[in-house]
Amino acid sequence: MNFAEHLKRSAVLGLAISILITLALSTWMFRAEESDLRLQHRQRLAVMHANALALAVANTNVEETGKRVSDIQKLDPRIESVIIVGGMQLVASTRAEDAAPRQLGREEKALFDLSDQIRTARETNRGEDVVRKKTVQIEEKTIGHIVVTVPYLSDGQFAGILQMKFNTTGPDVSGADIFSPAPDSYTLPALLFLAALLAGSLFRMSTERKVDFTKLLALGVFLLIALFFQQQRLERLERTVTQANQAIAANYLAAAQQYDRLGYLALPRDNSSVNLWDTDHYQRPLGLIAADGSVSAKTQAAYFDKRSGFLKRILGAIDLLGAAVLLMFLYGYAARTFAALKEHADAYTYVAPAMIGMLVLVFFPFAYGITLSFTDTTLFNEFLPFQDRLIGWANFKAILGDVNLYERTAGGIIWNYQNFYWTLLVTVAWTISNVTIGVTVGFLLAMALNTEGLRGKAIYRVLLILPWAIPNYITALVWRGMFHPQFGVINQVLQMFGMQPVAWFDGVFSSFFTGVATNGWLSFPFMMVVILGALQSIPKDMYEAAEVEGADRWQRLRYITLPLLRPTLIPAIVLSVVWTFNMFNIIFLVSGGEPGGANEILITKAYKIAFENYQYAYAAAYSTVIFMILLVYGIFQTRITKATESF
Amino acid sequence: MADIKTRNHVWLHVVLISFTVLAIYPVLWVLALSFSGQQSVGLIDLPKDPSFLERFRGILPVPAHWSVKNFTEVWTEQDFGRWMWNSLVVSLMTTALGVFLACTAAYAFSRFRFPGRNVGMLMFLISQMFPGTLMLIPLFIIIVKWMGLGNTYVGLVIVYATTAIPFCVWMLKGYFDTIPYDIEESAIIDGASRLTIFLRIILPLAKPAIAITALFSFMTAWNEFILASIFMESEANYTAPVGLRFFVGGFTSQWGYFAAGSVIVSLPVVALFLQLQKYLISGLTAGSVK
Repeated sequence: MNFAEHLKRSAVLGLAISILITLALSTWMFRAEESDLRLQHRQRLAVMHANALALAVANTNVEETGKRVSDIQKLDPRIESVIIVGGMQLVASTRAEDAAPRQLGREEKALFDLSDQIRTARETNRGEDVVRKKTVQIEEKTIGHIVVTVPYLSDGQFAGILQMKFNTTGPDVSGADIFSPAPDSYTLPALLFLAALLAGSLFRMSTERKVDFTKLLALGVFLLIALFFQQQRLERLERTVTQANQAIAANYLAAAQQYDRLGYLALPRDNSSVNLWDTDHYQRPLGLIAADGSVSAKTQAAYFDKRSGFLKRILGAIDLLGAAVLLMFLYGYAARTFAALKEHADAYTYVAPAMIGMLVLVFFPFAYGITLSFTDTTLFNEFLPFQDRLIGWANFKAILGDVNLYERTAGGIIWNYQNFYWTLLVTVAWTISNVTIGVTVGFLLAMALNTEGLRGKAIYRVLLILPWAIPNYITALVWRGMFHPQFGVINQVLQMFGMQPVAWFDGVFSSFFTGVATNGWLSFPFMMVVILGALQSIPKDMYEAAEVEGADRWQRLRYITLPLLRPTLIPAIVLSVVWTFNMFNIIFLVSGGEPGGANEILITKAYKIAFENYQYAYAAAYSTVIFMILLVYGIFQTRITKATESF
Repeated sequence: MADIKTRNHVWLHVVLISFTVLAIYPVLWVLALSFSGQQSVGLIDLPKDPSFLERFRGILPVPAHWSVKNFTEVWTEQDFGRWMWNSLVVSLMTTALGVFLACTAAYAFSRFRFPGRNVGMLMFLISQMFPGTLMLIPLFIIIVKWMGLGNTYVGLVIVYATTAIPFCVWMLKGYFDTIPYDIEESAIIDGASRLTIFLRIILPLAKPAIAITALFSFMTAWNEFILASIFMESEANYTAPVGLRFFVGGFTSQWGYFAAGSVIVSLPVVALFLQLQKYLISGLTAGSVK
């Protein structure tokens, strides 16, 4: 087979594979987008109905509220139940067993908390005059069964929350299933592909021109097919979005008529006013449906453009990927890769299990964590479509841009313990003091143990490394017990010498000290053993020679011991800096970051953000910042290590 | 001269003994608490206005009454036996999976030269730099929320095994490199397949290194606390570390049970550690000593 034949073959193969990859990935993206759209559609519907009812019960008294709620709920079978909570009161409920109005029970505290959370969110948005906190809360634990919570007002003031269970699994008011897609047409792509094959075999040219032509033709056909397919799907998506919007409009009109008939309609229905029912999660009107129920094509198109921007960028990336695959085939890289795979099949088989495990459980989570940090995902909004959670760099801005480290008041300076830079400061202080203690104590003990003719060395050594052997979470809990303010051993010792007991976990410095004491206790044996090993490898005759030359003890330490310890000590310090920086267990288990989070180090803080505040995305961003710090340290550390090697 | 030396040694002994007391006091304290048969954090009840000597008696790590009640009750009345069982199963499964994954990968890295070998080994190294909490949230979402493996052994085991891989692979590869290639060559000439060589020759020869790897995987799982506390939400599925914290963290403080449990959990680990510490240290400092 000559070169031209070879090229033709790999062009056809490459074209087929790259098209397959591109179409498959694009289809996957469109599927994801469509399911996102479906999610958004039904949640928008639910929010609209909840908003409508919240507006209808604003400014009404308790009986009237109860009546209106139950009237509306009876009219629409999709509204499964509605409850209204104001302060500690269950104002209204459509469930007979609730017997509203009454006080909230103890087991209903979650509702009170939710109401409080939404009130705070509203106030934050008002106070800062920006829209940052979501005031509409959505939960969709089973698909189609949506629980929406919105605030309702009285005299323009926050009065409480309205929670609606909305079932979207039944038939829609507008009737048609807007999401049943028409079958895709693959005719044109297939025809193009065949045409390309035909053209390729028909042309008879000089070999050199043929090579270029084949490459160009393959690339052209690929781009044509990919772009045509994506355009087709984009148009279909736009149709779907339009239809979905019309369906919402139909729902809106139907509901508005019902409200009107009952006299509950609280908003004007003329063309010029804003539709307050159909809002986003910050209760800002979407503006897609006018108050009279009409849909404007222009706003629609603008909305779709905005919505599909992200998707279009991803599609562009997919096209680039496909083109890259095709070029790999055209320039022979693919063939070489396959050959390598075949030749080293044994090796890849052996590596594969571990590699796959690492990719799935280490590298994918890592990438996912980074992605997560650009969203505002929390435990409460993880049901939302991905695009609605995407917030760009906001998390990083909030973490790094918040420089209100302290406040000046009449009583002096008040530190803000929740601030990132405070935590960073604590972490740095924590790392430096621990490593210093570890190295100093370790060095002293190693020097002592290295003394010639010392009795009982072996026993000392075993007893002194005991702290290293015990699992560190046990150590941490033990020291927590010893620092117990009332019965703890340490306060007993203080009192033994006539001192006052200390409430260890109540003061910033004393609490910091508990962590350092614990960590110092468990980390000095490592340093001691490492330094001892290095000391023992220093040849004795060096000291003897120095002694003969008249060097005193200090000079011997300064000019022999320390320089020779350096190659061992520096890597050990580098290592223990990272260990201490990431020492989660001690802070978390001994002081728990008390008082008031003042002694949190970066990673315990990230943990608490994630698993006590449930702000997953914010915690992911926090962890990304930690990773960046470690990365910078890593680069810096290689420099240092290299520098010491050249000594 | 001799006089000075002895005096120096006296001071050295004073320093060493005081540090040794500091080092072993918490250990003795836990031991005393575990044999005290009581739950409070103080070893004895002090009178209202205690004297110096009474306070001194209070801090001595000797229980007021010797009793093995804590040890028996932690098994019979608490769930500790179940937690130990959970820990044991998780650790053994982690060991089996971790050793399998590490051995195969290390063998390939040691014996084959293939494209991507250096990149792969570098990837293993880099993964050691990812901070735990950055992995924690995605792993929680992937394992618990997506795969529904919360409260199961499998979820913990696959995460533990993969996190232990990089260290184990690097260690095993180093050992495999020391096994001479001649043995394999003659086996290949005799017609043995790669798999036969791996199973019949390499693995038996690498037994000591595999034992260390197995121990390392086991200890990773045995001592892990954070992931286990997130993945295992129901009390029946706690591992021993999570259970021990349950005794003294938050709402209860059963220090006696905690102490007895800690002694049971630590004994095997401490014994192994003291046996194996020289290998560990030589591994840690291998890069620095030329």
